[in-house]
Amino acid sequence: MTAEEWYRADRLPHIYCAGCGNGTVINCTLAAVEELGWRREETVFISGIGCSSRAPGYILTDSLHTTHGRALAFATGVKLANPGLNVVVFTGDGDLAAIGGNHFIHACRRNVDMTVVCMNNMIYGMTGGQGSPTTPPGAFSTTTPYGSGEPAFDLAELAIAAGANYVARWTSYHVKELVKAIAAGMRTPGLSFVEVMTQCPTNYGRHNRLRRVSDMIEYLRTHALLVQKKERLVQEGKTVPDEMFTVGELVRRNRPAMGVRR
Amino acid sequence: MKLVIDESRCKGCNLCVLVCPYGIFQEGSELNQRGIAVPRLDRPERCTNCRLQHLYGRLLCGMCQMICPDQAIRWVEEEPFEPHSVVVEF
Ligand SMILES: Cc1ncc(C[n+]2csc(CCOP(=O)(O)OP(=O)(O)O)c2C)c(N)n1
Ligand code: SF4
Ligand code: SF4
Repeated sequence: MTAEEWYRADRLPHIYCAGCGNGTVINCTLAAVEELGWRREETVFISGIGCSSRAPGYILTDSLHTTHGRALAFATGVKLANPGLNVVVFTGDGDLAAIGGNHFIHACRRNVDMTVVCMNNMIYGMTGGQGSPTTPPGAFSTTTPYGSGEPAFDLAELAIAAGANYVARWTSYHVKELVKAIAAGMRTPGLSFVEVMTQCPTNYGRHNRLRRVSDMIEYLRTHALLVQKKERLVQEGKTVPDEMFTVGELVRRNRPAMGVRR
Repeated sequence: MKLVIDESRCKGCNLCVLVCPYGIFQEGSELNQRGIAVPRLDRPERCTNCRLQHLYGRLLCGMCQMICPDQAIRWVEEEPFEPHSVVVEF
Protein backbone atom coordinates (compact mmCIF):
# COMPACT_ATOMS: atom_id res chain seq x y z
CA MET A 1 0.00 0.00 0.00
CA THR A 2 1.19 3.49 -0.76
CA ALA A 3 2.14 5.61 2.19
CA GLU A 4 1.27 2.82 4.62
CA GLU A 5 2.54 4.72 7.61
CA TRP A 6 0.19 7.66 6.92
CA TYR A 7 -2.90 5.49 7.36
CA ARG A 8 -4.62 4.82 10.66
CA ALA A 9 -4.44 1.05 10.22
CA ASP A 10 -6.71 0.51 13.24
CA ARG A 11 -9.53 2.33 11.39
CA LEU A 12 -9.30 0.22 8.24
CA PRO A 13 -11.22 -1.13 6.40
CA HIS A 14 -13.00 2.20 6.01
CA ILE A 15 -16.76 2.66 5.71
CA TYR A 16 -16.80 3.31 1.96
CA CYS A 17 -18.83 0.96 -0.22
CA ALA A 18 -17.04 -1.68 -2.28
CA GLY A 19 -15.55 0.01 -5.32
CA CYS A 20 -16.08 3.59 -4.09
CA GLY A 21 -13.52 5.93 -5.67
CA ASN A 22 -12.90 7.88 -2.47
CA GLY A 23 -10.34 5.34 -1.19
CA THR A 24 -8.36 5.65 -4.42
CA VAL A 25 -8.27 9.44 -4.07
CA ILE A 26 -6.86 9.11 -0.53
CA ASN A 27 -4.16 6.79 -1.90
CA CYS A 28 -3.24 9.30 -4.59
CA THR A 29 -3.20 12.25 -2.20
CA LEU A 30 -0.93 10.43 0.23
CA ALA A 31 1.33 9.35 -2.64
CA ALA A 32 1.69 13.03 -3.57
CA VAL A 33 2.39 13.94 0.06
CA GLU A 34 5.13 11.31 0.13
CA GLU A 35 6.58 12.61 -3.11
CA LEU A 36 6.88 16.03 -1.53
CA GLY A 37 8.41 14.64 1.63
CA TRP A 38 5.97 16.42 3.96
CA ARG A 39 6.17 15.52 7.63
CA ARG A 40 3.17 14.32 9.58
CA GLU A 41 3.55 16.92 12.35
CA GLU A 42 3.38 19.73 9.77
CA THR A 43 0.41 18.50 7.81
CA VAL A 44 -3.29 19.02 8.53
CA PHE A 45 -6.19 17.43 6.66
CA ILE A 46 -9.53 19.22 6.85
CA SER A 47 -12.97 18.23 5.59
CA GLY A 48 -16.67 19.02 5.85
CA ILE A 49 -19.44 16.42 5.85
CA GLY A 50 -20.11 13.63 3.36
CA CYS A 51 -18.61 10.28 2.41
CA SER A 52 -15.65 12.05 0.82
CA SER A 53 -15.25 14.19 3.91
CA ARG A 54 -14.60 11.15 6.09
CA ALA A 55 -11.18 10.82 4.48
CA PRO A 56 -9.11 12.69 7.11
CA GLY A 57 -10.39 10.24 9.74
CA TYR A 58 -8.27 7.53 8.15
CA ILE A 59 -5.06 9.53 8.15
CA LEU A 60 -2.60 9.74 11.02
CA THR A 61 -2.16 13.50 11.21
CA ASP A 62 -3.97 16.28 12.97
CA SER A 63 -7.28 16.80 11.21
CA LEU A 64 -10.55 18.69 11.41
CA HIS A 65 -13.84 17.08 10.41
CA THR A 66 -15.95 20.23 10.38
CA THR A 67 -19.56 21.16 9.71
CA HIS A 68 -21.16 20.65 6.32
CA GLY A 69 -19.74 23.04 3.71
CA ARG A 70 -17.40 24.86 6.08
CA ALA A 71 -14.15 22.98 5.50
CA LEU A 72 -12.60 25.88 3.60
CA ALA A 73 -13.52 28.39 6.29
CA PHE A 74 -11.80 26.27 8.96
CA ALA A 75 -8.86 25.61 6.64
CA THR A 76 -8.43 29.34 5.99
CA GLY A 77 -8.28 29.87 9.76
CA VAL A 78 -5.70 27.12 10.25
CA LYS A 79 -3.47 28.37 7.45
CA LEU A 80 -3.59 32.03 8.45
CA ALA A 81 -2.98 31.23 12.12
CA ASN A 82 0.03 29.08 11.30
CA PRO A 83 1.38 29.45 7.76
CA GLY A 84 4.02 26.86 8.59
CA LEU A 85 1.45 24.07 8.24
CA ASN A 86 0.67 22.20 5.03
CA VAL A 87 -3.10 22.30 4.66
CA VAL A 88 -5.06 19.86 2.53
CA VAL A 89 -8.85 19.92 2.26
CA PHE A 90 -10.91 16.88 1.25
CA THR A 91 -14.40 17.75 0.14
CA GLY A 92 -17.32 16.48 -1.93
CA ASP A 93 -19.30 18.13 -4.69
CA GLY A 94 -22.23 18.79 -2.36
CA ASP A 95 -20.02 19.97 0.47
CA LEU A 96 -17.98 22.30 -1.75
CA ALA A 97 -20.40 23.52 -4.39
CA ALA A 98 -23.84 23.41 -2.78
CA ILE A 99 -23.81 24.38 0.90
CA GLY A 100 -20.16 25.51 0.77
CA GLY A 101 -20.33 27.41 -2.53
CA ASN A 102 -19.63 30.83 -1.09
CA HIS A 103 -16.66 29.64 0.95
CA PHE A 104 -15.30 28.07 -2.22
CA ILE A 105 -15.36 31.21 -4.36
CA HIS A 106 -13.92 33.37 -1.60
CA ALA A 107 -11.14 30.92 -0.72
CA CYS A 108 -10.20 30.99 -4.43
CA ARG A 109 -10.42 34.79 -4.50
CA ARG A 110 -8.24 35.11 -1.42
CA ASN A 111 -5.98 32.47 -2.92
CA VAL A 112 -5.19 30.98 0.48
CA ASP A 113 -2.16 28.68 0.24
CA MET A 114 -3.68 25.21 0.48
CA THR A 115 -4.63 22.23 -1.64
CA VAL A 116 -8.31 21.40 -2.13
CA VAL A 117 -9.11 17.90 -3.38
CA CYS A 118 -12.75 17.60 -4.39
CA MET A 119 -14.12 14.11 -4.88
CA ASN A 120 -16.88 14.86 -7.35
CA ASN A 121 -19.19 11.86 -7.56
CA MET A 122 -21.98 13.96 -9.08
CA ILE A 123 -24.38 13.07 -6.23
CA TYR A 124 -24.96 13.34 -2.49
CA GLY A 125 -23.57 9.93 -1.58
CA MET A 126 -23.87 9.90 2.20
CA THR A 127 -27.51 10.94 2.43
CA GLY A 128 -28.77 8.42 -0.10
CA GLY A 129 -28.37 9.82 -3.59
CA GLN A 130 -29.97 13.26 -3.89
CA GLY A 131 -28.98 15.38 -6.88
CA SER A 132 -26.08 17.80 -6.37
CA PRO A 133 -25.03 20.93 -8.30
CA THR A 134 -22.78 18.73 -10.43
CA THR A 135 -25.36 16.08 -11.34
CA PRO A 136 -25.24 16.04 -15.16
CA PRO A 137 -28.37 17.05 -17.10
CA GLY A 138 -30.59 14.04 -17.62
CA ALA A 139 -29.01 12.01 -14.79
CA PHE A 140 -31.27 10.27 -12.30
CA SER A 141 -31.15 10.66 -8.54
CA THR A 142 -33.71 10.45 -5.74
CA THR A 143 -34.52 14.17 -6.18
CA THR A 144 -34.44 14.06 -10.00
CA PRO A 145 -36.62 11.01 -10.70
CA TYR A 146 -37.32 12.15 -14.29
CA GLY A 147 -33.71 13.09 -15.01
CA SER A 148 -32.04 16.31 -13.91
CA GLY A 149 -33.39 19.31 -15.77
CA GLU A 150 -30.64 21.69 -14.68
CA PRO A 151 -27.23 22.43 -16.14
CA ALA A 152 -24.35 21.18 -13.97
CA PHE A 153 -21.69 23.33 -12.32
CA ASP A 154 -18.19 23.10 -13.78
CA LEU A 155 -16.22 23.39 -10.55
CA ALA A 156 -12.82 23.72 -12.20
CA GLU A 157 -14.03 26.63 -14.36
CA LEU A 158 -15.50 28.21 -11.26
CA ALA A 159 -12.16 27.96 -9.44
CA ILE A 160 -10.35 29.49 -12.41
CA ALA A 161 -12.80 32.37 -12.64
CA ALA A 162 -12.59 32.98 -8.90
CA GLY A 163 -8.78 33.15 -8.95
CA ALA A 164 -7.19 29.88 -7.78
CA ASN A 165 -3.51 29.62 -8.69
CA TYR A 166 -3.59 25.98 -9.77
CA VAL A 167 -6.55 24.07 -11.18
CA ALA A 168 -6.61 20.53 -12.55
CA ARG A 169 -9.17 17.85 -13.11
CA TRP A 170 -8.69 14.07 -13.34
CA THR A 171 -10.67 10.98 -12.46
CA SER A 172 -10.18 8.21 -9.93
CA TYR A 173 -9.27 5.97 -12.87
CA HIS A 174 -6.31 8.15 -13.97
CA VAL A 175 -4.31 7.47 -10.81
CA LYS A 176 -0.80 8.30 -12.03
CA GLU A 177 -1.88 11.58 -13.59
CA LEU A 178 -3.84 12.41 -10.46
CA VAL A 179 -0.82 11.94 -8.19
CA LYS A 180 1.21 14.25 -10.44
CA ALA A 181 -1.55 16.86 -10.46
CA ILE A 182 -2.01 16.84 -6.67
CA ALA A 183 1.77 17.08 -6.16
CA ALA A 184 1.97 19.99 -8.62
CA GLY A 185 -0.89 21.66 -6.77
CA MET A 186 0.85 21.19 -3.43
CA ARG A 187 4.02 22.79 -4.84
CA THR A 188 2.13 25.83 -6.17
CA PRO A 189 1.77 28.69 -3.66
CA GLY A 190 -1.83 29.86 -3.35
CA LEU A 191 -5.01 27.85 -3.61
CA SER A 192 -4.69 24.67 -5.65
CA PHE A 193 -7.91 23.02 -6.70
CA VAL A 194 -7.88 19.44 -7.93
CA GLU A 195 -11.25 18.08 -8.95
CA VAL A 196 -11.43 14.30 -9.10
CA MET A 197 -14.38 12.71 -10.87
CA THR A 198 -15.04 9.62 -8.78
CA GLN A 199 -17.36 6.67 -8.99
CA CYS A 200 -20.20 6.21 -6.50
CA PRO A 201 -21.56 2.87 -7.64
CA THR A 202 -24.02 2.74 -4.76
CA ASN A 203 -25.90 5.96 -5.29
CA TYR A 204 -24.94 7.42 -8.66
CA GLY A 205 -24.39 4.12 -10.41
CA ARG A 206 -27.50 2.46 -9.08
CA HIS A 207 -29.78 5.20 -10.38
CA ASN A 208 -28.05 5.53 -13.73
CA ARG A 209 -27.60 1.96 -14.97
CA LEU A 210 -23.96 1.98 -13.94
CA ARG A 211 -24.31 -0.25 -10.95
CA ARG A 212 -21.19 -2.30 -11.54
CA VAL A 213 -17.95 -0.63 -10.57
CA SER A 214 -16.47 -1.46 -13.96
CA ASP A 215 -19.38 0.34 -15.68
CA MET A 216 -18.75 3.48 -13.65
CA ILE A 217 -15.03 3.33 -14.43
CA GLU A 218 -15.85 2.93 -18.11
CA TYR A 219 -18.10 5.99 -17.84
CA LEU A 220 -15.28 8.06 -16.31
CA ARG A 221 -12.76 6.80 -18.85
CA THR A 222 -14.92 7.48 -21.90
CA HIS A 223 -16.22 10.86 -20.71
CA ALA A 224 -12.80 12.34 -19.90
CA LEU A 225 -11.53 14.65 -22.63
CA LEU A 226 -7.90 15.73 -22.43
CA VAL A 227 -7.66 19.52 -22.39
CA GLN A 228 -5.12 19.55 -25.26
CA LYS A 229 -7.49 17.46 -27.35
CA LYS A 230 -10.35 19.79 -26.54
CA GLU A 231 -8.30 22.79 -27.65
CA ARG A 232 -7.51 21.00 -30.90
CA LEU A 233 -11.20 20.32 -31.48
CA VAL A 234 -11.99 23.98 -30.87
CA GLN A 235 -9.23 25.12 -33.23
CA GLU A 236 -10.48 22.82 -35.96
CA GLY A 237 -13.95 24.25 -35.46
CA LYS A 238 -15.39 20.89 -34.39
CA THR A 239 -17.99 20.56 -31.68
CA VAL A 240 -16.92 19.48 -28.22
CA PRO A 241 -19.37 16.81 -26.96
CA ASP A 242 -21.56 18.28 -24.21
CA GLU A 243 -21.51 15.24 -21.95
CA MET A 244 -17.71 15.11 -21.70
CA PHE A 245 -15.58 16.84 -19.07
CA THR A 246 -12.06 18.15 -19.67
CA VAL A 247 -9.19 16.58 -17.77
CA GLY A 248 -5.63 17.78 -17.35
CA GLU A 249 -3.91 20.83 -15.94
CA LEU A 250 -6.31 23.70 -16.58
CA VAL A 251 -4.49 26.63 -14.96
CA ARG A 252 -1.17 27.36 -13.30
CA ARG A 253 -0.44 30.98 -12.52
CA ASN A 254 1.03 33.31 -9.99
CA ARG A 255 -1.61 35.62 -8.56
CA PRO A 256 -0.83 37.12 -5.13
CA ALA A 257 -1.56 34.51 -2.44
CA MET A 258 -2.34 34.58 1.29
CA GLY A 259 -0.85 32.50 4.05
CA VAL A 260 2.26 31.44 2.13
CA ARG A 261 5.06 30.17 4.38
CA ARG A 262 7.91 32.66 4.59
CA MET B 1 9.00 -9.63 -3.36
CA LYS B 2 5.59 -11.21 -3.19
CA LEU B 3 2.21 -9.70 -4.10
CA VAL B 4 -0.47 -10.22 -1.45
CA ILE B 5 -4.08 -9.15 -0.93
CA ASP B 6 -5.02 -8.40 2.66
CA GLU B 7 -8.24 -10.38 3.11
CA SER B 8 -9.21 -8.38 6.16
CA ARG B 9 -9.42 -5.21 4.04
CA CYS B 10 -10.46 -6.28 0.53
CA LYS B 11 -14.12 -5.63 -0.34
CA GLY B 12 -14.04 -7.53 -3.64
CA CYS B 13 -14.65 -4.58 -5.97
CA ASN B 14 -12.40 -6.09 -8.66
CA LEU B 15 -10.81 -2.78 -9.63
CA CYS B 16 -7.42 -4.52 -9.49
CA VAL B 17 -8.73 -7.05 -12.05
CA LEU B 18 -9.52 -4.13 -14.33
CA VAL B 19 -6.13 -2.39 -14.24
CA CYS B 20 -3.37 -5.02 -13.99
CA PRO B 21 -1.60 -5.07 -17.38
CA TYR B 22 -0.57 -8.71 -16.84
CA GLY B 23 -4.02 -9.93 -15.86
CA ILE B 24 -2.66 -11.29 -12.60
CA PHE B 25 -5.87 -10.63 -10.67
CA GLN B 26 -8.80 -12.88 -11.52
CA GLU B 27 -12.30 -12.32 -10.20
CA GLY B 28 -12.80 -14.49 -7.13
CA SER B 29 -15.71 -16.86 -6.78
CA GLU B 30 -15.41 -18.25 -3.27
CA LEU B 31 -16.57 -16.17 -0.33
CA ASN B 32 -14.19 -15.78 2.60
CA GLN B 33 -15.34 -15.65 6.21
CA ARG B 34 -16.27 -11.95 5.79
CA GLY B 35 -18.54 -12.87 2.88
CA ILE B 36 -16.28 -11.35 0.26
CA ALA B 37 -15.05 -12.91 -2.98
CA VAL B 38 -11.42 -11.79 -2.90
CA PRO B 39 -9.71 -11.93 -6.33
CA ARG B 40 -7.39 -14.86 -7.01
CA LEU B 41 -3.82 -14.26 -8.05
CA ASP B 42 -2.80 -15.95 -11.28
CA ARG B 43 0.99 -16.51 -11.31
CA PRO B 44 1.78 -13.33 -9.35
CA GLU B 45 5.51 -13.80 -9.92
CA ARG B 46 4.93 -12.27 -13.37
CA CYS B 47 4.36 -8.88 -11.72
CA THR B 48 7.19 -6.45 -12.64
CA ASN B 49 7.25 -5.09 -9.14
CA CYS B 50 7.72 -8.55 -7.60
CA ARG B 51 10.72 -9.20 -9.80
CA LEU B 52 12.39 -5.83 -10.22
CA GLN B 53 11.53 -3.55 -7.30
CA HIS B 54 14.76 -4.30 -5.45
CA LEU B 55 16.86 -3.94 -8.60
CA TYR B 56 15.45 -0.51 -9.43
CA GLY B 57 15.02 0.58 -5.83
CA ARG B 58 11.54 2.00 -6.45
CA LEU B 59 7.95 0.98 -7.06
CA LEU B 60 7.32 -0.14 -10.64
CA CYS B 61 3.84 -0.06 -12.18
CA GLY B 62 1.92 -0.30 -8.89
CA MET B 63 -1.42 0.40 -10.63
CA CYS B 64 -3.33 -2.17 -8.58
CA GLN B 65 -2.03 -0.82 -5.29
CA MET B 66 -2.76 2.78 -6.23
CA ILE B 67 -6.30 2.14 -7.44
CA CYS B 68 -7.28 -0.32 -4.67
CA PRO B 69 -9.78 1.81 -2.72
CA ASP B 70 -9.33 -0.38 0.34
CA GLN B 71 -5.55 -0.29 0.72
CA ALA B 72 -5.53 -4.10 0.51
CA ILE B 73 -2.67 -4.73 -1.93
CA ARG B 74 0.97 -4.80 -0.94
CA TRP B 75 4.28 -6.44 -1.62
CA VAL B 76 5.99 -8.35 1.14
CA GLU B 77 9.51 -9.69 1.40
CA GLU B 78 9.77 -13.34 0.57
CA GLU B 79 11.42 -16.03 2.60
CA PRO B 80 14.72 -16.79 0.94
CA PHE B 81 14.57 -19.68 -1.52
CA GLU B 82 10.78 -19.86 -1.71
CA PRO B 83 10.28 -22.03 -4.81
CA HIS B 84 8.37 -20.63 -7.76
CA SER B 85 8.17 -21.01 -11.47
CA VAL B 86 8.71 -17.98 -13.65
CA VAL B 87 7.06 -17.82 -17.03
CA VAL B 88 8.85 -15.47 -19.38
CA GLU B 89 6.49 -13.86 -21.86
CA PHE B 90 7.69 -12.38 -25.15
C1 LIG C 1 -26.01 21.74 7.67
C2 LIG C 1 -26.25 20.38 7.11
N1 LIG C 1 -27.13 20.21 6.11
C3 LIG C 1 -27.34 19.00 5.56
C4 LIG C 1 -26.67 17.92 6.02
C5 LIG C 1 -26.92 16.54 5.43
N2 LIG C 1 -25.87 16.08 4.57
C6 LIG C 1 -24.91 15.26 5.03
S1 LIG C 1 -23.82 14.77 3.85
C7 LIG C 1 -24.65 15.67 2.68
C8 LIG C 1 -24.23 15.70 1.24
C9 LIG C 1 -22.84 15.29 0.96
O1 LIG C 1 -22.62 15.25 -0.39
P1 LIG C 1 -21.16 15.38 -0.98
O2 LIG C 1 -20.46 16.55 -0.39
O3 LIG C 1 -21.29 15.34 -2.46
O4 LIG C 1 -20.40 14.11 -0.43
P2 LIG C 1 -20.47 12.58 -0.82
O5 LIG C 1 -21.22 11.92 0.29
O6 LIG C 1 -21.17 12.46 -2.14
O7 LIG C 1 -19.05 12.14 -0.89
C10 LIG C 1 -25.76 16.33 3.23
C11 LIG C 1 -26.69 17.17 2.45
C12 LIG C 1 -25.74 18.11 7.08
N3 LIG C 1 -25.03 17.09 7.57
N4 LIG C 1 -25.57 19.34 7.62
S1 SF4 D 1 -22.46 6.11 -1.00
FE1 SF4 D 1 -21.20 6.50 -2.81
S2 SF4 D 1 -19.69 8.03 -2.15
FE2 SF4 D 1 -20.59 7.12 -0.29
S3 SF4 D 1 -19.16 5.43 0.24
FE3 SF4 D 1 -20.81 4.57 -1.02
S4 SF4 D 1 -19.98 4.62 -3.12
FE4 SF4 D 1 -18.75 6.01 -1.87
S1 SF4 E 1 -9.00 -3.44 -5.75
FE1 SF4 E 1 -8.56 -3.91 -3.59
S2 SF4 E 1 -10.58 -4.08 -2.59
FE2 SF4 E 1 -10.92 -4.22 -4.80
S3 SF4 E 1 -10.89 -6.44 -5.24
FE3 SF4 E 1 -8.80 -5.69 -5.59
S4 SF4 E 1 -7.75 -6.00 -3.63
FE4 SF4 E 1 -9.96 -6.16 -3.20
